[in-house]
Amino acid sequence: MFVERLKIAMRHSFARALLPLLLVLFVGLVFNANGAFFAWSTHRSMLREISVHGILACGMTVVILAGGIDLAVGSVLGLSAVVFAWLTLPFELSAPLSLIAVVFMGAALGALSGGFVARYRVQPFVVTLAMMVFARGLAKLVSGGEKITVATSLGAEPAAPKALPAIFRALDTKMFGGNVSAVTLVFAACALATWLFLKHLRAGRYVYATGGNREAAELSGVPTSLTLIVAYALSGLFAAIAGICQAAQETHGDPETGTGYELEAIAMVVLGGTALSGGRGGMGLTLLGALTMGYLQKILSLNAFQTEARLMLTGVILLAAVLFQKFANRRAAT
Amino acid sequence: MPMFPRRAFVGTLVCLCTLSALPSCSSSGSDRKRHAGTPDDPYVIGMSQCNLGEPWRVQMNADIKRATSPYPNIKIIFKDAQNDSLTQRAHVEELVAQGIDLLVISPKEAAPLTQPVADAYKKGIPVIVLDRAVQGEEYTVFIGADNKKIGREAGKWAVKALGGKGKIVELKGLMTSTPGQDRNAGFREGLDLANNKDIQVVFEADMAWLEPNARKEMASALATQSDIQLVYAHNDPGAHGAYLAAKEADKHGAMKFIGIDALPHEGIRYVKDGILDATFAYPTGGAEAIETAIKILQGEKVEKKITLGTRIYTKENVAKGGEEIK
Repeated sequence: MFVERLKIAMRHSFARALLPLLLVLFVGLVFNANGAFFAWSTHRSMLREISVHGILACGMTVVILAGGIDLAVGSVLGLSAVVFAWLTLPFELSAPLSLIAVVFMGAALGALSGGFVARYRVQPFVVTLAMMVFARGLAKLVSGGEKITVATSLGAEPAAPKALPAIFRALDTKMFGGNVSAVTLVFAACALATWLFLKHLRAGRYVYATGGNREAAELSGVPTSLTLIVAYALSGLFAAIAGICQAAQETHGDPETGTGYELEAIAMVVLGGTALSGGRGGMGLTLLGALTMGYLQKILSLNAFQTEARLMLTGVILLAAVLFQKFANRRAAT
Repeated sequence: MPMFPRRAFVGTLVCLCTLSALPSCSSSGSDRKRHAGTPDDPYVIGMSQCNLGEPWRVQMNADIKRATSPYPNIKIIFKDAQNDSLTQRAHVEELVAQGIDLLVISPKEAAPLTQPVADAYKKGIPVIVLDRAVQGEEYTVFIGADNKKIGREAGKWAVKALGGKGKIVELKGLMTSTPGQDRNAGFREGLDLANNKDIQVVFEADMAWLEPNARKEMASALATQSDIQLVYAHNDPGAHGAYLAAKEADKHGAMKFIGIDALPHEGIRYVKDGILDATFAYPTGGAEAIETAIKILQGEKVEKKITLGTRIYTKENVAKGGEEIK
């Protein structure tokens, strides 16, 4: 009886994504590090730690649903962190203008990748790999290879350090009586926006159609090229927002920051059950994937596992979760 | 048909002979044309940097540049191998082919770069090896700091700051790297836990030199341990990340934070801002390399190994530029 019900439940992709999360939470209950797992502050800091990766995963979800992949998000994050720090710190531009400029830059870089994918049909892996290298180079060029801090000056002479602008503190504060980090709210807003876009806008349906079968979508009148450009632009936009959050949390713009984050974001999307082949999945699933990743890392860190064990366990659990999803999916289908 | 292989064989043989003869011609010239070392014909120094992705190495290049600027008779060619040993090997060979008078190299790894460095050395080009060593003896001088010693000083400072009693968190750099291992081993020697029984290292984690990781690990340390009194991170960004985590938990006031590297825009500024309590300089050796290079080019004898000291920066001495530890 129970097994039957479980089988029926497993037809829902959401339930399939929920199960790995519940398993990880169960591990947390057992290995609770002397009760540390039960403290709200542990969950608060876990939610803060996944926020930057999670914001990247929002854009990554859209791109993967459209049948692509965006390897450039980590580099665009780094570039955005540097440019945001440069605009607000030595250049002393106001916070709203800096935010708009950086977000626009991220979206433009994304749209550029999308343009190459859509117009010239170059493989997204290759286009975004090129963008990944390019954006990292640009980040190093803009920053001169150094971190942009409150002491960075526009001239050659070092400046007297200034106070950190309010926007930095605002993004790295705790809200609602110290119970939620501000960046977590940014992540929640990004996730909500992505969900609304995918579920309730025509453009969102175009994303699914393009990723499912581009030729068929094209024939039924979907503007697939424009859809792809919008998808990559969104990914760049979210990468820029993540970069701003990263700079605020580190209190400087580090040209090396975000290296490898693209893989973290892809893992969150895949762990949720969104198909890498495109057309199937959604933002809700990515959210579950993000929580699974976050709790897994938190539990390993709380219990002070050695790095070797952590990396191996993360690999094994990732593979197990994905295999489980595939297996449950096939079972449910038959 | 049988004609072809024989002809091919002879052809190959001729080719091989010519090829093997070629390098022996050029390398036999120990009378390499050297630059005169005047402003019109300046000495050319090649600087092969393994990676400019780390601020510390950016600083090393900047130190070299600054040290050379008073000398119009020296020209420097910088190369960045982007963390790839084979690229760096190619860079060394390119520099040698360009006819440099002296090679400065901060190698990525010892094994793959030992041969190219030895080849340059055998051609009569003096070689200064910076920070990381190569194998064997075929170089002119090695200049480097001692991570173990720096870790030991940090440990001794921690014991003193704690008054011989307290709980410590250690946030380690990459433990598969020599600097990480040495900064860990030295610190433990300095702590001397066998004799300071009231000092405990209650939490340790690898943060791979990265600030966001350090912040994450420190959050875990704070969640599982009470009364942490001191945090030792293997680099300043790690210590800064730990400070941010402690601040988030409103516990930063009761803790001391120690870092290593003391770059002007990083560790030293953190000490000035009251974020870190101490940072220990890991000198780049850039200025010393140029000093030594000039001696070599002028024909003076230099020691085979130069070990750099460290400086400690604390709230009390940071305004005066820190304090040297021999």
